[in-house]
Amino acid sequence: MSHELNRQITTELTRRSFLGRYAGSLGGLALAHLLANQQSASAATTDLQPGATHFTPKAKNVICLFQHGGPSQMDLFDPKPMLEKFHGKPYPSGELEIHFTNQAGNVLGSPFKFAPAGQCGMQLSEVLPYTARIADDITLIRSMNTESVDHEAALRLIHSGKIFAGLPTWGSWVTYALGSENQNLPAYVVLGDPGGLPIDGTRNWSAGWLPAIFQGTPFGSGKSPVVNLQPPEGSSPAARRNQLAFLEQLNRAHLSRHPGNSELAARLANFETAARMQTSVPEVLDISGEPAETKELYGLNEDATREYGTRCLIARRLIERGVRFVQLFLSSQPWDTHSKNAESLKGLCAKTDRPSAALVEDLKRRGLLDDTIVMWTGEFGRLPISQGSDGRDHNRRGFSTWLAGGGFKRGYVHGATDDFGYEAVEKVVTVHDLHATLLAALGLDHHRLAYPHDGRPTSLTDAEVTGAKVVPELLA
Amino acid sequence: MRRSPPNLLRPLLLLAMHVIVLPTLVVAETPDLVHDVLPLVRLKCVKCHGPGKSEGGLNLSTPAWLANGGDSGAAVQGGKPNESLLWQRVAADEMPPDAPLKAEERELLATWIKAGAPGLPAEGSAHPSGDHWAFVPLKAPQAPQAQAAHRVRNDVERFVLAELERNGLGYRPEADRATLIRRVAFDLTGLPPTPEQIAAYQNDTSADAYERMVDRYLSSPRYGERWGKYWLDAAGYADSNGYFNADSDRPLAYRYRDYVVRAFNADKPFDRFVIEQLAGDELAGFKPGEATTSEVISLLEATHYLRNGQDGTGESDGNDNERTIDRYSALDSCLQIVSSSLLGLTVQCAKCHDHKFEPLSQRDYYQWQSVFYPAFNVKDWKKPNERVVQATLPGELETWKAHEAEVDDKVAKLREEFAAWAKENQPRGAVLFRDEFAAGGPPLADAWSHTAPGDDQPAGQPAINLDSETRPATIARDGNLFVLESGDPGDRVMSTRQTFNWTPQAEGAWIQVTFDLVDVKVGDGKVSERIAYFLAVRDYNDTREGETGNVLLEGKPEGGGVGLYLDYPGNDHKDDGTLGEAVYRGGHNYGVRITRVADGKCRLDHLYDGVPDRKSAVLDQAALGSGGFGFGLCCGRSFIVDNVVIRESETGDLAADAQLQAETSRRREELEASIKQLDGERKPEPGRIAWMTDRSANAPEVHLLERGSHSSPGETVEPAPLAALSDPNAEWQIAKPESGAETTGRRLAWARWVTDADARPAALMARVQVNRMWQQHFGAGIVATCENLGVSGAAPSHPELLEYLAAEFVRSGWSIKHMHRVMLNSAAYRQASTYDAGASKIDPDNRLLWRWTVRRLDAEAVRDAILATAGQLDESMGGPYVPTSRDGLGEAVVTEGAAGTNRRSLYLQQRRTQTLSLLGLFDSPSLVVNCVQRPISTIPLQSLSLLNSPFLREQSRHFAARLANEAGEDPAKRIDRSYLLAYGREPLPAEHAAASGFLDTQRETYGDDEKGDQLAWTDYCQMLLASSGFLYVE
Repeated sequence: MSHELNRQITTELTRRSFLGRYAGSLGGLALAHLLANQQSASAATTDLQPGATHFTPKAKNVICLFQHGGPSQMDLFDPKPMLEKFHGKPYPSGELEIHFTNQAGNVLGSPFKFAPAGQCGMQLSEVLPYTARIADDITLIRSMNTESVDHEAALRLIHSGKIFAGLPTWGSWVTYALGSENQNLPAYVVLGDPGGLPIDGTRNWSAGWLPAIFQGTPFGSGKSPVVNLQPPEGSSPAARRNQLAFLEQLNRAHLSRHPGNSELAARLANFETAARMQTSVPEVLDISGEPAETKELYGLNEDATREYGTRCLIARRLIERGVRFVQLFLSSQPWDTHSKNAESLKGLCAKTDRPSAALVEDLKRRGLLDDTIVMWTGEFGRLPISQGSDGRDHNRRGFSTWLAGGGFKRGYVHGATDDFGYEAVEKVVTVHDLHATLLAALGLDHHRLAYPHDGRPTSLTDAEVTGAKVVPELLA
Repeated sequence: MRRSPPNLLRPLLLLAMHVIVLPTLVVAETPDLVHDVLPLVRLKCVKCHGPGKSEGGLNLSTPAWLANGGDSGAAVQGGKPNESLLWQRVAADEMPPDAPLKAEERELLATWIKAGAPGLPAEGSAHPSGDHWAFVPLKAPQAPQAQAAHRVRNDVERFVLAELERNGLGYRPEADRATLIRRVAFDLTGLPPTPEQIAAYQNDTSADAYERMVDRYLSSPRYGERWGKYWLDAAGYADSNGYFNADSDRPLAYRYRDYVVRAFNADKPFDRFVIEQLAGDELAGFKPGEATTSEVISLLEATHYLRNGQDGTGESDGNDNERTIDRYSALDSCLQIVSSSLLGLTVQCAKCHDHKFEPLSQRDYYQWQSVFYPAFNVKDWKKPNERVVQATLPGELETWKAHEAEVDDKVAKLREEFAAWAKENQPRGAVLFRDEFAAGGPPLADAWSHTAPGDDQPAGQPAINLDSETRPATIARDGNLFVLESGDPGDRVMSTRQTFNWTPQAEGAWIQVTFDLVDVKVGDGKVSERIAYFLAVRDYNDTREGETGNVLLEGKPEGGGVGLYLDYPGNDHKDDGTLGEAVYRGGHNYGVRITRVADGKCRLDHLYDGVPDRKSAVLDQAALGSGGFGFGLCCGRSFIVDNVVIRESETGDLAADAQLQAETSRRREELEASIKQLDGERKPEPGRIAWMTDRSANAPEVHLLERGSHSSPGETVEPAPLAALSDPNAEWQIAKPESGAETTGRRLAWARWVTDADARPAALMARVQVNRMWQQHFGAGIVATCENLGVSGAAPSHPELLEYLAAEFVRSGWSIKHMHRVMLNSAAYRQASTYDAGASKIDPDNRLLWRWTVRRLDAEAVRDAILATAGQLDESMGGPYVPTSRDGLGEAVVTEGAAGTNRRSLYLQQRRTQTLSLLGLFDSPSLVVNCVQRPISTIPLQSLSLLNSPFLREQSRHFAARLANEAGEDPAKRIDRSYLLAYGREPLPAEHAAASGFLDTQRETYGDDEKGDQLAWTDYCQMLLASSGFLYVE
C-alpha cells in the first residue's frame, strides 16, 4: 500500500462513485459508453494501455437460490452407505466438531434412497426428483467447506467473504463491477420470502462500504413491491406530471448555477428513473401473461410450490430484462434441521425442488442458461451423527452446492467428502475459491476487483489472506 | 516543507483503483520524492523492504528509512545512479524479483537520483516510525502571508490562499449572507437557519456580524447534537450489540450518547474528553452503593466508549471455542475503535502478523491489547448486560422508588379490582373432588394412585411412591402436596382414582380443575422446568389401540403459558399449541375449564386465579373423554401444590357463557389500557450506567496470539507504548489509580500517554482530529483518507495547513470550538461556491479550495431539516432512544405511536440491523466498527422516497399548514415564506412566478376537489423539500 495507491484510490473513488450515480440515473442513455467505462474499470489489465484485455466472460448474470440454515448434504446430494452401516452406533471415525455438544448422539443414517440421475449418473436423493431431471445441466460440488458453524458468521462468509458483519455482499461486488443492462430496474434484486426476513436479515444483500447503489433492492409482493414505488393514494397522474415538471424546473435552475456538477445532474435524472420504475417494476412482476405450460413447469398450480415457483419465475423475468443479479431467500433458516431432520427435508424439498429445477429448464430452453449462473447453496452442511434423536447439527467441514449454466460444467460432480460425509477431503473447494470461480465465470479477476475502504483496497476474496483461487475444473 | 505545487495539478492520471497503475511519466519537472518516487517503491518494493519485512535491513517506505539504507549501505547516492544500490539492482533487473520495473518507472527513478535525489533527508532516522510525517512531533509551520491581503481573514489563508496563488488562482468572492448563514447553520447544527436567525444576521451591521453569528450557533444546544454525532460515528456508537442475528438491545447506551453531546456543547477540552472515555472509571474511583456527584456519573458514562463495538457474547451459544472467539472479537473491536477514532490507524492486520505497510508489529498489537484486556478478560467475562453499575445523586434513587411504589400501588389496586370482579362472577358449579392435603388427613393412596384409572400398569417406570421419601415420590406434607422427581428419564403420573367425564354433555356446560401452586421448586432445588398435569388420564402407557384422552398441560414458570399435548405420551401424541399467557409461579391458582360449545367441540380455558386467561383452545370432544386428573413427574420437575378441586356446572347455558366471556374481555382490555397508561408514568431506574471497568485490580496474563488464534497463545506481553509513537517526552507510567479505583491503571496510563501534549502520540491524534473537522467543513480532509494517517494513508494536500491546525488545536488547550472558529472565520470558508470556468479547468476537483464545495445534506440533516422546515421538529434532548421498527413492507421506520417520533435523528434507535430506511437511503451507515467518512450516493430510491413516502407527504402537509399559519391568506406572502424556510432566502421574481404558476396549474388539475387548494400547496411544499436547493448547501 502506498500514498500513490491511496491517491489513485481517492481519485478513483470520486470517479467510480460518479459512475455509480451515473449508472443509477441516466436511463438507457449512453449505456454503451457506461459499460465501456465500467469494463475498463473492473476488468482492465494492469497497465491500462489502450486495448487492454480482460477475460472474456462466460456468464453475464447470476441467480442465487439461497438455502438458509445448512441443507443436509448426506440426505440430499452426497450418499454415504457407511451411515447406514453404523446407524445408531457411536461415531467410529474420530473426533467431530460439534456445535451443540451436549446433544450429540450416534451415527444417523439417511432414510432416503439415492439413485443415479441423468446421462451422467449423478447420485441424488429421492427427495429431489426434479433436480434429478436437470442432473445433466449442473455441476454438483460435494467438497465445499467453510469457516464457521455459526449461522451468521457462515452466512456472512458465503455472502461477503468474511465472517464479520457489514462487508459488501457478492451481489454488490458483481453489480459494482458489471452494472446493469436495464436502467429502469435495480441491478441487484432480492426476492424475499413473504414469510419474513432470513437470518441475518438485510445484511444478506448489503452493499457494505460500496456505494448504496450496489445494494440489493428487495422486491415484495402486493401493491407496492418496492417501497414507495407508487404515488400516495388519491394522487392523479396529471398532478404527478405537473409536480415532476415543477421539480425539474427548480432543479435545472439550481444546476445552472453549478455547471458540470455530475451529482446534481444525476439527481435530476433520478426523478425520471423513479417515475419509470413505477411502470417497469409492476410489469416484471406481473406473470399473468405467462403461458399455462410455464406456470405448470414451475409448479404454480400446486400449493406446495406456488410461492417459491412464482419467485423463481420472476427471477427469470428479471434476468430477461437485463437485471444483473437476482437472489432468492427463504424466511428464517428452514434448512436448520436440529430436530426432525428427515421430515423437515421432505417438506422443504417439496417446496423448492420443482421450482429450482424448472428455473434451470426454462432458462435453458430460452437460451438464457449459457449467460446465467444459477447457484443453489446453503451456508454450511450437517453432521453425520444425530442431534437429539432425529436432528442433525451444523457442520462447516463439508457441504454440497450446485451450479448450473454460465460456463459451469454440465453433469459434473466435483470433489468428495470422507466415508461419513463429514469432511470434504477430495478437491476441496473453500467458499473463497467458489467466489473466485464465480467472478472468473463473469470475466472478473478476483484479485483486481477491489474498492478502497479503511485506507486500503478491499476485495471479495482478499486472496492474499484467504488463499482464494479459481477452480478451473468447475468451468467448461 | 515541500514547496512544489500539490501533485494534483500534475498531468491528470487516468487510474483505476482495482489495478495498481503508475503514472505515465510525461512529467517535465523533477520527480518528487513523496508523490512520485515513494509511491513507486512502496508499490513495488515494500512487501519485502518495508515495515513488516525488511530484507537486507532495507525499508523503503518513508524518506527517513530510505535515507537509512540497508545492510549493504546507502540505497541512494544523490546525483549518482550508478553508485546507488537501489538503481543498480533495478537496472540489472534483479529487483523487484518477480516483475521488473517498466521503462518509464525506471526512468522516474533514474531521473530522480540523477537530479540529486531531492527530498531525501541527509540523515536517516533510527526511530521506529521511520519519521513518517504524521508520526513526528508537531512543529508549528512558518509561512508567509498570501499576496491578496484584502482576502486574508486569518492564518488559514497563509496556507490555502497562498497555495492557490502559487497555482495562479485565488478565492471566489465572499458568499452573500443568506448563503453563509445557511451554510454555517447546517455545518454547526445540522439544521436550517430559522427566519429569526436569518433576520438577526441580516440586520446586524457590526463589522463582526459573521463571527457573532458563528458564535451563536456554537453556543446552541443543537451544536452538540450535530458534532456529537460525528464523534459517535467515529466511536462506533450504536444502540444494539450486533454480531448475531438477534442484534440485541443496548438500552443504556444512550447515556454515553448524551455524555458526548454534553461534552461538545461544553467544549470539553479534547484531551480530557479522551481520558474520560478511556479511563473515566479509573479517574472516578466510584464505589457502588454510595451516592455520588454528576461529575463522577459523567466519568462512568464516558467509559461506554470502550464497549461501543459489536459484542455477541450475550447470545453466544455453541461450544467453548466459539464463545472464546466471540469474546476476543469484542476486545478486538474495542482496540479497532480506539485506534481509528483517536489515531487514524488501522491495526487489525497486526492481530495475525506484523503489519506489512505500517510500522506496527504483532507484538505492538498485543501490548496494546493488554491495556484493555483487564476490562475484557476473556477468562473472566462479563456479558454486555452484566456490565452495569448503579451510580446516583443523593436522594435520586429514593425519589424514584417512591414514585415507582406509587404506580405499583395503583396498578395493584386495578388488578385487585378486576380479580375480585372476575372471581365474583365465575360460574360456581358443584364440587366433584377436593383434596386439601390437610396435615393428619387420610393417606394419599386413598384418593390417588400411581396407575391411571382402569389401567393395571403403573403410569411410567419406575412408578411413583406415594407418601414415601423414595423418589420419584409424592408426599402430603405441611398441608401441601410435594411432587418430587427422581432424575430418572421418562414420564410418570400420579392420578386420581376417581374418574371424571371431561366432555360435558350439554352445550354451555363445563368441568374444571384448579389447584394452588405453592412453589415452583422444592427447597433449594432448581425451578421446575414445567408444571405438568393431566386430564382424562386413563391409558397412561398408551397400550390400547385408538385410545385418546391423556391430555397433558405443561405450565411454564419461565415465559408463561401452557403447552397442550393430546394423547400423551407415546409416538402418536400431538402437540396442540399453547393456552393462556400467565407465568407459573408460587402463590397463584391455576387450572383449566372445559366448556362444551357448539358442533361437538369443547373449549379449553386456562384458569389463572380462577379467571380465564386469554388464549383458549378448541378441541374435538373425542380428544377428551373420561379419566382421572393427575400430576406429571419428569426430569427436573419438582414442585409443591395444594387444594386440588374439580367442579362441574349444574346446567349448560351457552348464552351466559358467551356473555361472561365478552364482559371479561371488555374489563380486561379496560384494565390493560389503564395499566399501560400508568406504566407510561414510570421512569427508568435512575443511575443505571452501562460502563466498563477492569475485572480486577490485578492484571491477568496476556499472551500474543500466534496467527491471531486464541488456541495458539505465544509469549506473554505487558503494556508498552506503540513503538512507532514512542517518545521520551510522553509520560508512560502504570500505577494504581489515585482515585482508589479497583483497576490496573493501564488504561489511565495509556490515556495520559496519548494526550501528552508535546509528544508524538498527541501530535498524531491532533492531526487526525483537525483533519476530520476540516472534512466536515470543507467536504474533504486535508488528508483524503480520514481513516488512515499512517504510512499507507494518503499524503496531505496542504501539509503545512494540517500542521498549523493541529498545533493550534493543542495550543488552544484542545478546544474544538476554537478550531471551528479558525476554520469558519477564514476567508477560505466564507467564499462563494459559484463556478469559475478558468479555475475549474486547472483544478476541477477543487482540491485547492478556490471555491466552497457544494454539498448534499447528510442523512440526519435531511430528515431533521425536513422536520424543522415543516415546523414539526421536537427539540427535546437526551434520554432513551425513540424506538424504530420494521413495518409491513420491511421498511425501518420510527415506531408508530412512540413518544418523540419527531425528535432529531440522533435520538432515534441506532440499531445496527435496522438503520432507519430514510437515513440509510441517504448513506447513514449501519455501524460495523465505526465510521469517519460516509459515501454520498445519488440513487433512484431516494427520489422515490422524496416523491412517494408517507413521511414526506405528511411533512409537506405540515409545511403547507405552517405557511398558511405564518403568512396568512396571501399566496405571494406564502411563497416568500416558503423560500425563506426551505432555502433561507427570498425568491427571485422568476422563481416567484414559477411557484405561482405551478400552484395555479395544480389547483386547476384538482378542479372541483374541495381540498384542491390544500393539495396544491402540499404538492408545492413537497417539491421544495425534494429539490436540490433544499438538499444541498451552497
